[in-house]
Order: sequence, then C-alpha cells, then structure tokens
Amino acid sequence: MGSEGSAAVAQPATTEVVRLEDVHKRFGDNHVLDGVDLTVDSQQVFVVIGPSGSGKSTLLRCINLLEPIQQGRIFFEGEEITRKGANASAIRQRIGIVFQQFNLFPHLKAIDNVTLAARRVKKMPRGKANERARELLGKVGLEEKAASFPHQLSGGQQQRVAIARALMMEPQLMLFDEVTSALDPELVGEVLVVMRDLAQSGMTMVVVTHEMQFAREVGDRLVFMDEGRIVEEGKPADVLSNPREERTRQFLRRSLQLAPLEDLSIEEGGNE
Amino acid sequence: MSVLASFDWSYIWERREVLAEGLKVTFELAAIGIAGAFVVGLLLGAARAYRIPVISQLAGIYVELIRNTPILVQIFLIAYGLPKATKSLQFEFFTVACVALVLWGGAFNTENFRAGFEAVPKRYNEAALALGFGRIRTFLNISLPIGGRIALPSSINTYISVFKNTALMTAISVEELTNVAKQSIDLDFRTWEMIAVLAVTYLTLVWTLSALIRLLERRLALPEER
Repeated sequence: MGSEGSAAVAQPATTEVVRLEDVHKRFGDNHVLDGVDLTVDSQQVFVVIGPSGSGKSTLLRCINLLEPIQQGRIFFEGEEITRKGANASAIRQRIGIVFQQFNLFPHLKAIDNVTLAARRVKKMPRGKANERARELLGKVGLEEKAASFPHQLSGGQQQRVAIARALMMEPQLMLFDEVTSALDPELVGEVLVVMRDLAQSGMTMVVVTHEMQFAREVGDRLVFMDEGRIVEEGKPADVLSNPREERTRQFLRRSLQLAPLEDLSIEEGGNE
Repeated sequence: MSVLASFDWSYIWERREVLAEGLKVTFELAAIGIAGAFVVGLLLGAARAYRIPVISQLAGIYVELIRNTPILVQIFLIAYGLPKATKSLQFEFFTVACVALVLWGGAFNTENFRAGFEAVPKRYNEAALALGFGRIRTFLNISLPIGGRIALPSSINTYISVFKNTALMTAISVEELTNVAKQSIDLDFRTWEMIAVLAVTYLTLVWTLSALIRLLERRLALPEER
C-alpha cells in the first residue's frame, strides 16, 4: 500500500488521534489551562472557540509541545507525548501547525519555505521536494507564486503558503491557531476555503477560530473555552444555536452581535 | 608651496618594491584579521545570544576587556607582556599582530552577531521547531541566515576598522605598509611623498572595500529590505 494519502482512508473514522487528560498549564500565577480533557477523533474537525485569554492558543501549543504542561497527559496516536524523554522533533513532524502571524521564513521564496523542512529534516532530495511543493502550492491556489518572497504576498497568500508548508511534512493532524484573525476581511474567505477542502479530504484538524460560520459548516465537534476550562462541548450547530451555559450564551451574543450594539455594555463580560 | 615644489615623484617610484612588499603584508594581516573576527564573532555572538553557560560569561568579560582598552595597549600586552609571564607565549610579531587584530575585531563582532541573533523574531524559530527542526538545525537554517543578515551592516564596519588597524602594527615593527613608509621617511626624510602614498593607498583600498561589501550587503539583505 502506498504511504501517501492512503493512510487517512485506511483508518476507520473513529480512531482517536489526540487525547488530553486533565491538562494544567500555568504561566506563573496565571492558570491558563485548568484541567482540560478532550478527545479528537480521526478525520474530525474539532473547533475551539472562546474569548481571548481563555487558553485556546495555549491548548494548541501544548499539543505540539511548544509549551510544556505542569500536570496531566497528552496522547497523540496512542502514544503519550508528554512523557519524559519523548522525541519532540519527531512528534512535531507528524503534527502541522499554522499560526495567526503566518511566520513564513522571510529570507526564503514561497517554494523554499515549503520544502525547507522536508529537505533538511527528512533529507528529501531537492528535485522531489520541489515537485511535491508545487503540487501543494497548486492545491492552495498559489502555484504561480512559488518564486515570490513572503513580503511580496498578501496576508491571505502568505497564510496559504504556511498551510502548504505544514502539509509538506505529511502530518496526521493539523492545528490552526486563529489563522484568519490577522487578515483583512476580504482575504479571510480564500484561507477558509483551503481549510474546508482540507477537511473534506479527511484531514484531522483542531481549529481555534472566531469564524462562527466556518465552525458551523465545517466543524464536526465544538468546544467553548473560558478561563482555561472547557465550558461546553457538542455539535457545532447545537452549541452555537442552543448553548446550555450562560457564559457561552453571553460570549456568542457579543461575538455574533446578535444583540443591537446599544444593548451591549462594556462591563458585561469585561474580561473578554 | 615648498612642499609641492620639492615633491619628488621619482622617489615614490624608487621605493615601489618596498612599498609593494608592505602592502602585501597589510593585505595578509587584514585578511587574517577579518576572517578571524568573523569566526570569533559568529561563535561567541551565538554563545552570548543563546546564553550558553560559562562560554557566554567568559565571552562577556572578553568583550568588555577589549572594548574598554586601547588597541595599542592590547598589542603591547600580547607582544611584550605575555612573553614576560611565560616564555611559551613568545611569538613572532607578525603572529602577535594577527592575534591582536582577531581579538579586537572578534570582540566587536561578538556584539554585532549577538545583537543580530537576538533580533530574530522568536516566531520564526517556533515555526521551525513546529516543522520538526531540532535546536541546532533551527539555528543553522533560521537564526543564522536571518540574524547574520541583520548583523551585516555593523559587522562590515568592524571589518573596515580591522583593515585600518593594521597600520598600528608599525608599533611592533611588523613590515606592513605604514611601517615601510615610515622607515623611508626616517631614512630619506621624504615625508610628504610617503604620507601621500599612505593617504591615497588607504583611501582607495578602504573605499573599494566598502563599496564591494555594500554591494554584497545589498545582495544578502533580507528580501523585503532590498
């Protein structure tokens, strides 16, 4: 059986990819993650919403070991990755992450941004790497921008290159950290479309976002986080339309602007 | 006017071989000094920026010592002081000159590279780590090319200073350009002819060197700053 593309198809849809057990993360006195439990299944699009400072980004950074945790355990494909002596580099190669600020390497052309890790970490020959990178750039609609430097690209284009760069490592899981938050409104759509297509191709994804429409249409599972805890979890449509918790309702009312502006006060939910 | 009237062009021509020999030594000193300053600056700058224990602290002391004392004192220390302490530290003056230039340029370059590496935004390193790069590969592929470019303008100034500092080796009788010119002055009292040679040669060389390096700098600059 071929190693590319077939892995996702071969696995039954219920296989667990990521599991967090009672994860705690503190920055000094700040309890950023306060006992988080969650499970992400294979081919699932797992959406995380919540006010800023609720621990959403930290959650993603803990999953690919950019932040150490103080308590609890994280499993990836059945392996405890938070155990002592785990090979962080090897694990991160199998988990792609896309950042809010794109973080493309400014000294490299788009195609070299995509191929660098494959060439230097996986020792893929340049010719083969370029071929694969062109395919991926084509997938995100940027084949003709292969020779452009990051500063020559719009934010939306940079973010799509960043997605291609992460996919180049053939990850089993993709993490998206508010990837459209730094974009001009008219550039958000092109990135969301790429993410939707990726979801439809069977990629397992954890998506931290403020795009409620995307969450509803593409998400399989949704959690609302506040103050380092998961407040509510369920099917996106259920949570977004009929939130059980008052805190969720409050957040959605403000972020979806369901209430007229004159009915909102600055004090209400002042920690947002 | 009397200077110009008595200016003897033929004297310069007469001394051409000696001057050329001196120039060759100047080039050798500069090449060794600049190459050494690059290597020392790169290694110790990285040690400083990433706070590698012990090496970082020692490098800090070294930088402070060099930056806060006159280079002439450093030259005398290496040429005359160290041999007094132990005979095993007695070297030829050409070697002393090379060591002094490398130590001096290396100290300034340590600061240049430290500042360059520290200016690399952390998010690029994080992006590399997230792609599965280890720490050393992240340094080689990300911090070095980006930080090295940030450090380039200031390190170029250091290299030019190293070049000009070769003239100070006259003080320990290394036969470089300034020294052979001075010997001619002492011998034949042709002061203005030799001063003219020195001025024109150094000006031309430093200008050319600067122009070449600025060209290189523009080619190497981060794409958005070209």
